Amino acid sequence: VGGSRDGSTAGVRRLALLALLALLGWPAAVRAQQPQDTSRLPPGVQLGLIHHTAYRPRLAVRTFAGPGAEELRGIVQRDLDLSNRFALVETIPQQLATGAVDYRPWNDMGVVYLVTGELSVRAGALSVRLALHDVVYATLRHEASFRIPVPADGGFRMAAHALSDELVRWATGQPGKAATRIAGIRQAGSLHEIVVVDADGENARRVHGSSSILLSPAWSPDGMRIAFSTATPSGWQVQEVDLTTGQVRAVGGVGSSMTITPTYSPDGRKMVFAVWTGSGTEIHEYDLAQRCCLRRLTRSPRNDLSPGFSPDGRWLVFNSDRLGPPHIFVMPAEGGEPRLVSPFVHGTPGYFTSPEWSPSGNNLIAFHGRSRGNFQIMVADHSRPVAPVQQLTSEGENEDPSWAPDGRHLVYSGVRRDGSGLYVIDTVSGRMRPLITGGRMRVPAWSPPLVRAAALLEPNP
Amino acid sequence: MTHHRLVLPVLLAALALGACSRRQPPPPPPATQDDSEARARAEAEARARAEAEARGRAETEARARAEAAARARAVLEEMIFFDFDRFDIRGDARPVMDQKAAILRANAPVQVRIEGHADERGSVEYNLALGMRRATSARDYLVGFGIDGARLQVVSFGEERPLDPASSEAAWARNRRAEFHVTGGGTELTLPPGVQ
Repeated sequence: VGGSRDGSTAGVRRLALLALLALLGWPAAVRAQQPQDTSRLPPGVQLGLIHHTAYRPRLAVRTFAGPGAEELRGIVQRDLDLSNRFALVETIPQQLATGAVDYRPWNDMGVVYLVTGELSVRAGALSVRLALHDVVYATLRHEASFRIPVPADGGFRMAAHALSDELVRWATGQPGKAATRIAGIRQAGSLHEIVVVDADGENARRVHGSSSILLSPAWSPDGMRIAFSTATPSGWQVQEVDLTTGQVRAVGGVGSSMTITPTYSPDGRKMVFAVWTGSGTEIHEYDLAQRCCLRRLTRSPRNDLSPGFSPDGRWLVFNSDRLGPPHIFVMPAEGGEPRLVSPFVHGTPGYFTSPEWSPSGNNLIAFHGRSRGNFQIMVADHSRPVAPVQQLTSEGENEDPSWAPDGRHLVYSGVRRDGSGLYVIDTVSGRMRPLITGGRMRVPAWSPPLVRAAALLEPNP
Repeated sequence: MTHHRLVLPVLLAALALGACSRRQPPPPPPATQDDSEARARAEAEARARAEAEARGRAETEARARAEAAARARAVLEEMIFFDFDRFDIRGDARPVMDQKAAILRANAPVQVRIEGHADERGSVEYNLALGMRRATSARDYLVGFGIDGARLQVVSFGEERPLDPASSEAAWARNRRAEFHVTGGGTELTLPPGVQ
């Protein structure tokens, strides 16, 4: 009887929320988040978040049991918090920490999702039995066993992140972003480095160093290589560093005095970059698999650069100053008529650069643009061409956004009153956190998922 | 009688003459040595003086040439500046660009690397392309004066090498620039007429 009463209370809670959202309507909710004074924003740009009021269900990660339990729980708890999809229960009451799961006290705490975990050592690795409980419906939502390295092993953290992403998928059906890394360029004196840091800000390390300028890192779709542009004595060249061996090789053999801003196609077979052709840069594609067949995709009397693919590989977004100031355009991936994405009003300066297409299939394109004299992170919706562009940041100078594989978080480089470095923003809730600060870290690139839980499943659960 | 009166003065005169002619030509050996030494000394002195003068003239000319070469190099390597997000050669940069063209025309072996730079605002990547356009528009300007484009290498450093690392209008204005570096044939530059 008590269980059903609690269940109906939660049901009422859910209904009330739905009714509230229905009453407001999404557009109204979006409007409600906008400040009144938008007069100084560029035409066609709105200040605000991309989606709508973010409901974050309450989630508790119960104390795990077994060897390595604390280490694993610490990582999972933090990842789920950083996913910005849940309101985390910070401290678990002592009487609920162990024993059989009873949903009633969790429900009384307003918890919607409960995570439990049991660990054991088997053949030098950890066996993790992980479960997600739906407290509101008093059911076990999902359960599976995984094999991950022991905490002392270098692969432990990334495997733990993969389990966090699996929990996000079980709860929301959406991809996570914990088992990823972010690459950026750091300059220390005359040394230029490609630095890679885990998405939770841990484990920062150099993967390539050079006395030449390095820019525009881009991850290969398998996460094994990073392409970048570098200033060599004969001009700007695209190179690739193998993250396993550390070996660097030149890509393209283009023979131009400037080849910059590389990006991989989603299938990893092609690379697209900008090549200087005498009076400006034009977008070219190169067959990585056959190491040949350079082909020009755009023709412009001025500069086309910074290309990026849509996740289905059908579209390319790129930057061009063919209208005068730089703007964002989209065209078919094989070349064709470009369509303007950033707001263009004749006679206004406008300055929009560094586009990147969301990898999750939500058709969002992030870039940075000048607003109120400073550069800020903005997002446009490719599927809604007439919708206003959303401006996500407003403090300091913020540039070069890159999407997490969840299509919801962006990393960007920021210079603010309280410091500078790389920052991560949740485009849905607006929550922002510093990822790595101090020193000059720029042009970040978010990796694809580097470990997937499916690869860690125990053969015989 | 009259005869005798005549003979004596003549004799005396002859004696005197004899004495005279005996002392002068031919000059006695010691006197001859002294004389040629003095002449050689005088000649050497004259030669040295002439050489010194020539050397002085050469030095003056060399100094003038070096000064002209230094001036030519300074003009060739003088930076020019650009407006925000622009790559056209500004009016205030034209006089020095015209002088660069004249110097390049007068010094056929000279090769120059033109570096385009941008200020820190805007995209790192777009600024690379912008720097390239600035370097290229400087080169095109010179090519417009008949200078062989093959002598002018262009390169961009985008916003990566600011002259002034500050974040101010003044710093940005100095950082939006093209630099010119003589990379070859710059040892004996001459300054063409009309260029000071």
